[in-house]
Amino acid sequence: MTQGNHIREDERALEKLKDILLNKDRAELEELRSILNNQDKLSEKVRPIILSHFDFLKENFSSEYEEIVNTLIDKKLKQSEQELLDLIYPSLGKMISKYVALQMTTLKESIESSVKSKFSIGRSIKSMFTGVKESDLIIKDAVVSTIEEVYIIQRDSGLLISSASNQDSMDRDVIAGMLTAIKSFVEDAFNKDAQDLEMIEYGSYKIIIRSYYSFYIAIAVSGAFSATEQFELGTKIDSFAEYKMKLFKGKYDISSEEISLLLEQDFIQK
Amino acid sequence: MISKKIILTGSFGVGKTSIFNQFIFQKFSDKYLTTIGVKVNKKTMNVKGQELSLLVWDIAGEVTQDKVPTSYFLGASGIIYVMDLSRPLTFDKAEEDTKYLKNLIPGAKLKLVGNKKDLLTESELAETVANIKLPIDSITSAKTGENILELFTSLAEDLI
Ligand SMILES: Nc1nc2c(ncn2[C@@H]2O[C@H](COP(=O)(O)OP(=O)(O)OP(=O)(O)O)[C@@H](O)[C@H]2O)c(=O)[nH]1
Ligand SMILES: [Mg+2]
Repeated sequence: MTQGNHIREDERALEKLKDILLNKDRAELEELRSILNNQDKLSEKVRPIILSHFDFLKENFSSEYEEIVNTLIDKKLKQSEQELLDLIYPSLGKMISKYVALQMTTLKESIESSVKSKFSIGRSIKSMFTGVKESDLIIKDAVVSTIEEVYIIQRDSGLLISSASNQDSMDRDVIAGMLTAIKSFVEDAFNKDAQDLEMIEYGSYKIIIRSYYSFYIAIAVSGAFSATEQFELGTKIDSFAEYKMKLFKGKYDISSEEISLLLEQDFIQK
Repeated sequence: MISKKIILTGSFGVGKTSIFNQFIFQKFSDKYLTTIGVKVNKKTMNVKGQELSLLVWDIAGEVTQDKVPTSYFLGASGIIYVMDLSRPLTFDKAEEDTKYLKNLIPGAKLKLVGNKKDLLTESELAETVANIKLPIDSITSAKTGENILELFTSLAEDLI
């Protein structure tokens, strides 16, 4: 064998080797291309990666993204703090009302047992048909109550937002201010745990107060006012406040007259 | 109509209620009935062609302002801090008090008032004012009514 032959032999072997190697590469390249161009195939490949990342996120989301999310939430909360509180307040009131109602029931049951002895057939029948407890009817029979005045007042400044009324004599701006002053005075003097003044009573008048975050609603009622009526009125005020909320959006740019009309429709009995 | 809340504050006996009564009812009494809690009243003014309703809160005097329930100040647009020109003790705390109030309600306009002007002679007044280190906005007499309306008018103008 010559030297040259030997070299050529080597080269051919190398060629073959290259062919084999490149062929494999080409085939792989071809396969890759087909995967990339075929969605089903591609997704089959990518799926496990994404799934495993999901698993990773499930485990590590808080450490990886906590800060970003917290900052976002903080920012959003700060922007809409007042709206949020105005939204939460009525529901809170409802929850508390429910608890109080439970306590009232206990009290009423004791009243009921004490009036059982002197029941009237007429009242019992009425009670049966209307579903109103006999004890309430007894109280109602005695005196009927009337809503005299309704106020919506800015909680901090005591400035009157709107009002509605049966009569037309008093200066409601001043009453709103005084009510707020009395409320602040009482809350400041007796409140150790941030509760709101809920009722002022004088003579046969009762002023029912429901406080929300940026405003409160005060309703003056004359005549005997049973616990059930008071509870129902409270709930009614709450729903009004909740509904109102959407009109206010915390800005009070709806006119005082418009709110007054709504108040009159809902609360003042002509 | 725009409504604004204004608070009359300061130590006890300096004449807050007297200023209040002079402004609202144009009346003055020599009797001293200390205020308990708060009294609110309203006066409508026309300032720069604009109708303005002032809700004035006359509160009980306290030796230092941090004793006043903070809720009284909430939402106030104007504060009138009253001192008794005839009782130097009542301006001792003025600097501290006004600093406290400005911090409590940064948005509110504050007027520093020296009252009972009628009890001092010209020279006594000059001497007293020189002794008070703070710039006084108004020197009034609730008794004669001097500068009372001007005080509220200038405050109201600041609020528009
Ligand atoms: N001579 C004079 N007496 C005044 C003046 N203003 C108030 N007084 C008198 O000072 C006393 C106290 O006045 P008030 O207006 O009750 O003082 P106040 O600041 O409201 O006092 P509190 O309610 O206790 O904080 C009363 O006897 C007033 O007649 C004034 O300008 N001149
Ligand atoms: Mg007073």
